[in-house]
Amino acid sequence: MLLAHSLLWHYLWVAPNLLLPVLAVLLWRFGTARRFPAFFAFAVLSSVGQLAVYAADVLPSVSATTFWRVDWGDLLLEGVLKIALVGEIFALLFGSYTSLARMGKTLIRGVGIVLVFAAALAAAYAPRNGFFGVVSGAFLLQQTTYLIECGILVFIFLFSAYFHLAWPRQVFGVALGLSVSACVHLATWAMIENGGLLHSTRVILDFVNMATYHLCVLIWFYYLLVPHKVVAKSAVPLPENNLDVWNRELERLVRP
Amino acid sequence: MTIAIILVVAAALALIFILRVTLSRSLQISAGTGFAQIEPIDVEAFRNLVDPAEDDYLRRRLPAAEFRAVRRKRLRAMAAYIQAANRNAKVLVSVGQAALTEGDAPTAEAARRLVDNALSLRRNAAIALVRIHIALAWPNSGLAATPILHTYEELSGSAMLLGRLQNPAAPVRISAAL
Repeated sequence: MLLAHSLLWHYLWVAPNLLLPVLAVLLWRFGTARRFPAFFAFAVLSSVGQLAVYAADVLPSVSATTFWRVDWGDLLLEGVLKIALVGEIFALLFGSYTSLARMGKTLIRGVGIVLVFAAALAAAYAPRNGFFGVVSGAFLLQQTTYLIECGILVFIFLFSAYFHLAWPRQVFGVALGLSVSACVHLATWAMIENGGLLHSTRVILDFVNMATYHLCVLIWFYYLLVPHKVVAKSAVPLPENNLDVWNRELERLVRP
Repeated sequence: MTIAIILVVAAALALIFILRVTLSRSLQISAGTGFAQIEPIDVEAFRNLVDPAEDDYLRRRLPAAEFRAVRRKRLRAMAAYIQAANRNAKVLVSVGQAALTEGDAPTAEAARRLVDNALSLRRNAAIALVRIHIALAWPNSGLAATPILHTYEELSGSAMLLGRLQNPAAPVRISAAL
């Protein structure tokens, strides 16, 4: 069942990359694409890239070297798209709060620099495996991209959690899907690149990656298309004693 | 292999944290927050604690060792006030964000200002707490906690305005809660 080029393998590679452009079309029709231009671009272009890699894998006329060139091209494109997407999440979450936007930008730059150093260090200490340079380089690029992406997304979640910010539902959905994908892919690519695994184990990890990505596409469908339930708000009872004390304190502060 | 283990553990922790945030977010939506959770803070006492003139007076009057001990006590009290103000600001962020979705434009604007001020306070509180902990190690160093007080006053004003806009019939009561 869990074999490369099995029916499940074909489904898990192709289905999310067909679903994502469908989501992009629906977002365009509902006008949501204007709010999420980077996600829209990601949904369209990353699917095209992944389907190109899939075609390069299954077509017998495509040589191994050409396959890895296509894969490299797709990885670089996805890297750029993900940076834009993370920037969009940050802007949508913190952009409207002037008090946080500047501090957040400074901190995220600092975190980005630290993560680039950490990724470079992890790449430098990666063990020499038996792969050709182009293959090993692609694995390392995956590990590097997901390490930086995962770190920045965790920072955004931490930053918003500290300030107790409520995420807009759709922004949260985009960030959740991207984060789950980044965490799982980071773990699997770290094992593939550094673990010295057997081919059969690497195929299983491929399945884990593809299944996770499929799940993430479904998360995006849910959060971006399904309207949320409106919770009826009830008035909060106000404590009488505190009110009087604070009224006096505030009067003194407002009119010293 | 060591790098693989480190990265897998880091990824697992990151995933657990993000899933916890997802779970707490859904719980927050159903639970709701309100003015009732706000703790009273004696702003005048805090103002007295952060007054540099008070510190100068104590420094002149007390022997060095005694001054350091008193200063540490004052710093700990200051930290307790700031933590309480920080907790209040956290509640106000939730209250303000809930009011942001209300259709009424002046209420939404007041809510936006309240949230912005509360976030400023949380940011300043984090910085001030770091400074206080450094000052606890070196009690003779200077400490500027005044911006916290200024933000807290602004925050109170924003909350009063939001209270009035949300419930014009009882403006004094809602304002007083903050």
